[in-house]
Amino acid sequence: MSTPARRRLMRDFKRLQEDPPTGVSGAPTDNNIMIWNAVIFGPHDTPFEDGTFKLTIEFTEEYPNKPPTVRFVSHMFHPNVYADGGICLDILQNRWSPTYDVSAILTSIQSLLSDPNPNSPANSMAAQLYKENRREYEKRVKACVEQSFID
Amino acid sequence: MADENENEKMDNENQKPEKMFTLKKWNAVAMWSWDVECDTCAICRVQVMDACLRCQAESKKDSYGKQDCVVVWGECNHSFHYCCMSLWVKQNNRCPLCQQEWSIQRMGK
Ligand SMILES: [Zn+2]
Ligand SMILES: [Zn+2]
Ligand SMILES: [Zn+2]
Repeated sequence: MSTPARRRLMRDFKRLQEDPPTGVSGAPTDNNIMIWNAVIFGPHDTPFEDGTFKLTIEFTEEYPNKPPTVRFVSHMFHPNVYADGGICLDILQNRWSPTYDVSAILTSIQSLLSDPNPNSPANSMAAQLYKENRREYEKRVKACVEQSFID
Repeated sequence: MADENENEKMDNENQKPEKMFTLKKWNAVAMWSWDVECDTCAICRVQVMDACLRCQAESKKDSYGKQDCVVVWGECNHSFHYCCMSLWVKQNNRCPLCQQEWSIQRMGK
Protein backbone atom coordinates (compact mmCIF):
# COMPACT_ATOMS: atom_id res chain seq x y z
CA MET A 1 0.00 0.00 0.00
CA SER A 2 1.53 3.26 -1.10
CA THR A 3 -0.12 6.26 0.52
CA PRO A 4 0.66 9.93 -0.28
CA ALA A 5 2.64 10.21 2.97
CA ARG A 6 4.77 7.18 2.07
CA ARG A 7 5.34 8.46 -1.45
CA ARG A 8 6.40 11.81 -0.09
CA LEU A 9 8.83 10.10 2.30
CA MET A 10 10.35 8.16 -0.62
CA ARG A 11 10.97 11.52 -2.29
CA ASP A 12 12.48 12.92 0.92
CA PHE A 13 14.82 9.94 1.08
CA LYS A 14 15.83 10.33 -2.56
CA ARG A 15 16.58 14.01 -2.03
CA LEU A 16 18.60 13.23 1.10
CA GLN A 17 20.71 10.76 -0.89
CA GLU A 18 21.14 12.91 -3.98
CA ASP A 19 21.75 16.19 -2.21
CA PRO A 20 22.98 15.30 1.29
CA PRO A 21 23.23 18.26 3.68
CA THR A 22 26.51 18.42 5.59
CA GLY A 23 26.58 17.02 9.07
CA VAL A 24 23.28 15.15 9.05
CA SER A 25 22.13 11.79 7.75
CA GLY A 26 18.95 9.76 7.94
CA ALA A 27 17.20 6.74 6.51
CA PRO A 28 13.93 4.88 6.99
CA THR A 29 14.08 1.77 9.17
CA ASP A 30 14.21 -1.53 7.26
CA ASN A 31 10.59 -2.54 7.65
CA ASN A 32 8.78 0.76 8.10
CA ILE A 33 9.18 3.90 6.02
CA MET A 34 7.15 5.82 8.64
CA ILE A 35 9.95 5.47 11.21
CA TRP A 36 13.40 6.87 10.46
CA ASN A 37 16.74 6.77 12.19
CA ALA A 38 18.91 9.84 11.87
CA VAL A 39 22.25 11.14 13.03
CA ILE A 40 23.27 14.76 13.58
CA PHE A 41 26.96 15.52 13.91
CA GLY A 42 27.74 18.26 16.40
CA PRO A 43 28.39 21.53 14.52
CA HIS A 44 31.97 22.85 14.44
CA ASP A 45 32.92 25.63 16.84
CA THR A 46 30.21 24.64 19.30
CA PRO A 47 30.56 22.53 22.46
CA PHE A 48 28.66 19.82 20.54
CA GLU A 49 31.53 19.45 18.06
CA ASP A 50 32.59 15.82 17.40
CA GLY A 51 29.40 14.40 18.91
CA THR A 52 27.29 11.95 16.90
CA PHE A 53 23.74 12.32 18.15
CA LYS A 54 21.13 9.75 17.22
CA LEU A 55 17.48 10.58 16.68
CA THR A 56 14.26 8.86 15.68
CA ILE A 57 11.64 10.49 13.49
CA GLU A 58 8.09 9.15 13.47
CA PHE A 59 5.69 10.20 10.72
CA THR A 60 1.93 9.80 10.49
CA GLU A 61 -0.21 9.36 7.38
CA GLU A 62 -0.96 13.10 7.68
CA TYR A 63 2.62 14.00 6.75
CA PRO A 64 3.52 16.52 5.30
CA ASN A 65 0.44 18.37 6.56
CA LYS A 66 1.39 17.43 10.13
CA PRO A 67 4.99 17.47 11.41
CA PRO A 68 6.65 14.23 12.49
CA THR A 69 7.65 13.49 16.09
CA VAL A 70 11.40 13.91 16.42
CA ARG A 71 13.28 12.67 19.46
CA PHE A 72 16.92 12.42 20.45
CA VAL A 73 17.88 8.86 21.37
CA SER A 74 21.30 10.01 22.53
CA HIS A 75 21.39 11.74 25.87
CA MET A 76 21.37 15.52 25.33
CA PHE A 77 22.12 18.51 27.50
CA HIS A 78 20.54 21.39 25.63
CA PRO A 79 18.16 24.21 26.67
CA ASN A 80 15.54 23.10 24.11
CA VAL A 81 15.69 19.32 24.54
CA TYR A 82 13.48 17.60 27.14
CA ALA A 83 14.75 14.85 29.43
CA ASP A 84 12.98 12.24 27.26
CA GLY A 85 14.74 13.50 24.11
CA GLY A 86 11.75 15.50 22.81
CA ILE A 87 12.67 18.72 21.03
CA CYS A 88 11.15 22.14 21.58
CA LEU A 89 11.46 23.74 18.16
CA ASP A 90 8.83 26.03 16.63
CA ILE A 91 9.03 24.54 13.13
CA LEU A 92 8.17 21.12 14.58
CA GLN A 93 5.13 22.58 16.32
CA ASN A 94 3.16 25.74 15.52
CA ARG A 95 5.45 27.02 12.74
CA TRP A 96 5.40 23.80 10.75
CA SER A 97 5.03 24.12 6.98
CA PRO A 98 4.13 21.25 4.63
CA THR A 99 7.00 22.36 2.40
CA TYR A 100 9.58 21.05 4.88
CA ASP A 101 11.17 17.66 4.32
CA VAL A 102 13.47 15.41 6.34
CA SER A 103 16.50 17.29 5.10
CA ALA A 104 15.07 20.63 6.30
CA ILE A 105 14.03 19.15 9.66
CA LEU A 106 17.48 17.73 10.37
CA THR A 107 19.35 20.87 9.36
CA SER A 108 17.03 22.98 11.56
CA ILE A 109 17.75 20.76 14.54
CA GLN A 110 21.45 20.96 13.76
CA SER A 111 21.30 24.76 13.83
CA LEU A 112 19.37 24.60 17.10
CA LEU A 113 22.47 22.94 18.58
CA SER A 114 24.55 25.97 17.56
CA ASP A 115 21.93 28.53 18.57
CA PRO A 116 19.89 27.42 21.58
CA ASN A 117 16.90 29.51 22.55
CA PRO A 118 17.16 29.81 26.35
CA ASN A 119 13.92 31.81 26.50
CA SER A 120 11.69 28.81 25.81
CA PRO A 121 13.52 26.19 27.84
CA ALA A 122 12.72 22.49 27.81
CA ASN A 123 15.64 21.89 30.17
CA SER A 124 15.68 24.77 32.64
CA MET A 125 19.05 23.76 34.12
CA ALA A 126 20.66 23.82 30.68
CA ALA A 127 18.99 27.14 29.88
CA GLN A 128 20.17 28.71 33.13
CA LEU A 129 23.75 27.52 32.73
CA TYR A 130 23.75 28.63 29.09
CA LYS A 131 22.82 32.15 30.18
CA GLU A 132 24.76 32.44 33.42
CA ASN A 133 27.63 29.98 33.46
CA ARG A 134 28.81 29.17 29.98
CA ARG A 135 31.83 27.21 31.22
CA GLU A 136 29.74 24.80 33.24
CA TYR A 137 27.25 24.53 30.33
CA GLU A 138 30.05 23.56 27.96
CA LYS A 139 31.37 21.04 30.46
CA ARG A 140 27.97 19.33 30.69
CA VAL A 141 27.60 19.35 26.88
CA LYS A 142 31.07 17.84 26.42
CA ALA A 143 30.02 15.01 28.73
CA CYS A 144 27.12 14.30 26.32
CA VAL A 145 29.50 14.40 23.38
CA GLU A 146 31.68 11.75 25.03
CA GLN A 147 28.67 9.64 25.89
CA SER A 148 27.49 9.84 22.27
CA PHE A 149 30.56 7.81 21.21
CA ILE A 150 29.49 4.92 23.44
CA ASP A 151 25.74 4.95 22.70
CA MET B 1 42.51 46.85 -51.33
CA ALA B 2 44.11 48.05 -48.15
CA ASP B 3 41.01 50.06 -47.42
CA GLU B 4 38.79 47.06 -47.80
CA ASN B 5 40.90 45.08 -45.35
CA GLU B 6 40.59 47.97 -43.01
CA ASN B 7 36.83 47.82 -43.39
CA GLU B 8 36.77 44.14 -42.61
CA LYS B 9 38.72 44.77 -39.47
CA MET B 10 36.19 47.39 -38.51
CA ASP B 11 33.40 44.93 -39.11
CA ASN B 12 35.04 42.39 -36.89
CA GLU B 13 35.33 44.93 -34.18
CA ASN B 14 31.72 45.88 -34.59
CA GLN B 15 30.76 42.31 -33.94
CA LYS B 16 32.16 42.37 -30.45
CA PRO B 17 29.11 43.97 -28.87
CA GLU B 18 27.01 41.26 -30.47
CA LYS B 19 29.01 38.64 -28.65
CA MET B 20 28.23 40.42 -25.42
CA PHE B 21 24.61 40.09 -26.34
CA THR B 22 24.96 36.33 -26.79
CA LEU B 23 26.30 36.11 -23.28
CA LYS B 24 23.26 37.87 -21.98
CA LYS B 25 21.12 35.29 -23.68
CA TRP B 26 22.95 32.60 -21.75
CA ASN B 27 21.85 34.30 -18.60
CA ALA B 28 18.28 34.23 -19.76
CA VAL B 29 18.48 30.47 -20.29
CA ALA B 30 19.70 29.97 -16.74
CA MET B 31 16.81 32.05 -15.42
CA TRP B 32 14.37 29.95 -17.35
CA SER B 33 15.54 26.69 -15.84
CA TRP B 34 15.28 28.27 -12.40
CA ASP B 35 11.67 29.08 -13.16
CA VAL B 36 11.02 25.46 -14.00
CA GLU B 37 12.38 24.50 -10.60
CA CYS B 38 9.77 26.77 -9.05
CA ASP B 39 7.03 24.91 -10.87
CA THR B 40 7.41 22.02 -8.46
CA CYS B 41 4.66 21.85 -5.87
CA ALA B 42 6.58 22.48 -2.63
CA ILE B 43 4.11 20.39 -0.64
CA CYS B 44 4.27 17.06 -2.47
CA ARG B 45 7.43 17.78 -4.54
CA VAL B 46 5.86 16.79 -7.85
CA GLN B 47 5.77 19.15 -10.85
CA VAL B 48 2.54 21.13 -10.74
CA MET B 49 1.83 20.09 -14.33
CA ASP B 50 1.70 16.44 -13.24
CA ALA B 51 -0.90 14.97 -10.92
CA CYS B 52 -0.10 15.39 -7.22
CA LEU B 53 1.12 12.47 -5.11
CA ARG B 54 -2.34 11.91 -3.66
CA CYS B 55 -3.97 11.70 -7.09
CA GLN B 56 -1.15 9.49 -8.33
CA ALA B 57 -1.73 7.14 -5.42
CA GLU B 58 -5.50 7.12 -5.75
CA SER B 59 -6.24 7.45 -9.45
CA LYS B 60 -7.38 4.30 -11.19
CA LYS B 61 -6.24 5.59 -14.58
CA ASP B 62 -3.33 7.99 -14.83
CA SER B 63 -4.66 10.07 -17.70
CA TYR B 64 -7.99 10.61 -16.00
CA GLY B 65 -6.43 11.59 -12.69
CA LYS B 66 -4.19 14.15 -14.37
CA GLN B 67 -7.18 16.06 -15.74
CA ASP B 68 -8.74 16.37 -12.32
CA CYS B 69 -5.66 17.62 -10.51
CA VAL B 70 -5.45 21.37 -11.15
CA VAL B 71 -2.95 24.03 -10.18
CA VAL B 72 -3.83 26.91 -7.87
CA TRP B 73 -2.01 30.27 -7.74
CA GLY B 74 -2.20 32.46 -4.65
CA GLU B 75 -2.17 36.27 -4.57
CA CYS B 76 1.50 35.87 -3.57
CA ASN B 77 2.11 34.12 -6.94
CA HIS B 78 3.11 30.83 -5.35
CA SER B 79 1.55 27.83 -7.01
CA PHE B 80 0.63 24.39 -5.69
CA HIS B 81 -1.64 21.52 -6.60
CA TYR B 82 -5.17 22.43 -5.60
CA CYS B 83 -5.41 19.04 -3.84
CA CYS B 84 -2.29 19.67 -1.76
CA MET B 85 -3.22 23.22 -0.86
CA SER B 86 -6.85 22.52 0.05
CA LEU B 87 -5.69 20.01 2.67
CA TRP B 88 -3.19 22.47 4.14
CA VAL B 89 -5.47 25.56 4.35
CA LYS B 90 -7.90 23.52 6.48
CA GLN B 91 -5.39 23.75 9.32
CA ASN B 92 -3.57 27.00 8.50
CA ASN B 93 -4.81 29.52 5.97
CA ARG B 94 -1.34 30.79 5.04
CA CYS B 95 0.92 30.19 2.09
CA PRO B 96 3.40 27.53 3.25
CA LEU B 97 6.23 29.27 1.37
CA CYS B 98 5.86 32.95 2.32
CA GLN B 99 3.45 32.76 5.30
CA GLN B 100 1.13 35.34 3.73
CA GLU B 101 -2.61 34.99 4.21
CA TRP B 102 -3.69 32.58 1.48
CA SER B 103 -6.15 33.79 -1.10
CA ILE B 104 -6.62 32.23 -4.50
CA GLN B 105 -5.64 34.34 -7.49
CA ARG B 106 -6.53 31.78 -10.14
CA MET B 107 -6.89 28.09 -10.80
CA GLY B 108 -6.24 26.03 -13.87
CA LYS B 109 -3.51 24.25 -15.72
ZN1 LIG C 1 1.37 18.94 -4.74
ZN1 LIG D 1 -4.24 16.01 -7.00
ZN1 LIG E 1 3.32 32.51 -1.08
